[in-house]
Amino acid sequence: MTVTKADLQQILKATLKISHTDFQMKMEDMPLSGPDNTKLEALVHDIYSELVEDACLGLCFEVHRAVKQGYFFLDETDQESMKEFEIVDQPGVDIFGQVYNQWKNKECECPNCKRLIAASRFAPHLEKCLGMGRNSSRIASRRLASNNNTSKSESDQEDNDDLNDNDWSYGAEKKAKKRKSDKSQNSPRRSKSLKHKNGELGSSISAEAYKYSYNTGISYETLGPDEVRSLLTTQCGVISEHTKKMCTRSQRCPQHTDEQRRAVRVFLLGPSAPLLPSADTAVDNDSFDIPDGQTLLSRLQWEDSPDISPTDSASSKASTNHSDSRRPKKKKRTSLCLNSGGGGGGGGSLSGSSSSQSNISLVTKKKRPKVSAPSISSIYDDLN
Amino acid sequence: MSKESRMRATINQKLTEMGERERLKELLRSKLTECGWKDQMKAHCKEVIKEKGLEHVTVEDLVVEITPKGRALVPDSVKKELLHRIRAFLAQHAT
Repeated sequence: MTVTKADLQQILKATLKISHTDFQMKMEDMPLSGPDNTKLEALVHDIYSELVEDACLGLCFEVHRAVKQGYFFLDETDQESMKEFEIVDQPGVDIFGQVYNQWKNKECECPNCKRLIAASRFAPHLEKCLGMGRNSSRIASRRLASNNNTSKSESDQEDNDDLNDNDWSYGAEKKAKKRKSDKSQNSPRRSKSLKHKNGELGSSISAEAYKYSYNTGISYETLGPDEVRSLLTTQCGVISEHTKKMCTRSQRCPQHTDEQRRAVRVFLLGPSAPLLPSADTAVDNDSFDIPDGQTLLSRLQWEDSPDISPTDSASSKASTNHSDSRRPKKKKRTSLCLNSGGGGGGGGSLSGSSSSQSNISLVTKKKRPKVSAPSISSIYDDLN
Repeated sequence: MSKESRMRATINQKLTEMGERERLKELLRSKLTECGWKDQMKAHCKEVIKEKGLEHVTVEDLVVEITPKGRALVPDSVKKELLHRIRAFLAQHAT
């Protein structure tokens, strides 16, 4: 039985337990046979020696140049620091002599919740436990937002019923203020510049109404009349049916038409609402100009929120001459007024056409504008 | 003999022309640095220099001291790999 080279290889491999590549190399390194091959082998070794000598020469030149240029012994100048920073070669320790997982098994007691936490988890736990740090505030504000969404839908239902005007508006105000204060405390994106300017957290809370960092829309119920106005001049503002929030996109947002925008403005601010800065305004301007004096006056008197109702009633009388497009909106307004202030975010905007009604709603509406307007106007001044 | 020397010359020429010599040089240099041979040799150089005096060391001194030790200190794995590559080249390009 002839033993083939392959067989030999297998046997040797098994007995010697050499790896495959090593074995291959070893087998190939052996010169096979014949005088020619020895000569070839000699040649191979010669070439190899040449290469090694070349490497050695290269090293010599390098060292010699370093010696003559004076930088050869640079790393050996200070014996003391050499001893101090010597490489450590002990087990369980890195080359600097530091222990790697020294604190892994240690546990620390959290000063807040008095629990024993592993050392490597201590910092993230503290972040969440104390409520500081970026992530924890983001989670907290997100949780608040989801809570608000669920509680807001309840308040909207109340809104649609003919419930007490007082209770509803006051409750929403309280909720709104609480929401705003919670958000500004947790979220790291507080309006720092405004805080510096006014020096108190109070004003920054109402300024926070503009931020709404995590919502895509704004709830018009919680805004004062001035805020609504300023929002509507810059944003689309159309109130979504599903979420009851105002659209925060630009005036040319493709999701809503200009008609919708106009409707929202009338709904929130009355027929003297500011016009959209779009191509349609030319048409609207004409219709407004007919009974000019009083409507212009009413437009100019936006800033004085408590005085809205008389001007509104005046403008509403004046606007009876308007085109048909105005009338359905007016009807809508009056019906809403009968519901005594349902849904109106603006202060006196829904103080309807009848003066008696307006008096009553004045009383109720004056509460909120007085609270929010002064701080808001002060912010305006500061910003300007 | 001349046949052999002619063959040698041809092979050397081929080695250089095809860039294989340069590649082998680089390979050897990087392998020697990797395995610590270079640092060993440098330490030996330091001893020689301290012996001979910093000012008066010449290239010749170093070469004479370093080369035999260097040749001896090349690790076996590096040596084997290089021989393998040279043989492979010869097998491909020898007549």
